[in-house]
Amino acid sequence: MANTQAMCTSFKGELLVGHHNFGTGVVRGATTADTFKAALYLASATYNAATTAYSATGEVSGTNYTAGGVTVTNASAPATSGTTAYWTPSASFAWTTVTLSTSFDAGLLYNSTQSNKAVSVHTFGATTVTAGNFTLTMPTNDATTGLIRIA
Amino acid sequence: MDEPLIYTTKGNVPVSSLTYQNEWMVNDDFIKFTERHLLDGEVVKESAHVYDRKGVLATGEAQSF
Repeated sequence: MANTQAMCTSFKGELLVGHHNFGTGVVRGATTADTFKAALYLASATYNAATTAYSATGEVSGTNYTAGGVTVTNASAPATSGTTAYWTPSASFAWTTVTLSTSFDAGLLYNSTQSNKAVSVHTFGATTVTAGNFTLTMPTNDATTGLIRIA
Repeated sequence: MDEPLIYTTKGNVPVSSLTYQNEWMVNDDFIKFTERHLLDGEVVKESAHVYDRKGVLATGEAQSF
């Protein structure tokens, strides 16, 4: 037998459920899952890995679109497979009968329970919607394609 | 039988009065299907549906002491 240097897979999964805190100042008020939301951003905006929190700057606006976006359906707990931890919302993000005339190309997933802190940015090419629907269908929830993965 | 109507920026209009277009964009990250209805050349209804093929990946690495 030999030891192998690694980041423990259990730790990766536990990061996704808030078990570890290497810093200070974070007080979790409940043992329930946080509420996550998804907002859409104009193609002219600059949301990326440096984004720290939701902002209305650069967010789309239009008929039937509510600033802040939609609440994410979270019925699937984070899981691990192999050495990867992953989590995927359990339903599509959907905007119905909206008009978003200015080109948008990204969605921001953020934690509305924890001061709107940013989670991830997902791009999908320049898009407009006119009196129609916009749907973001989630990938398969596994270690290869899950929406959020830590490998 | 009444002709089906479709909701547009011009209100509910007969489907037969509209020109239908659709477009697919496929790459490694997503598949996007866009469909448009035009009335006399003007887009009066447009929907888009994106399938996110894979999410984002962060790689954890344990450094040697």
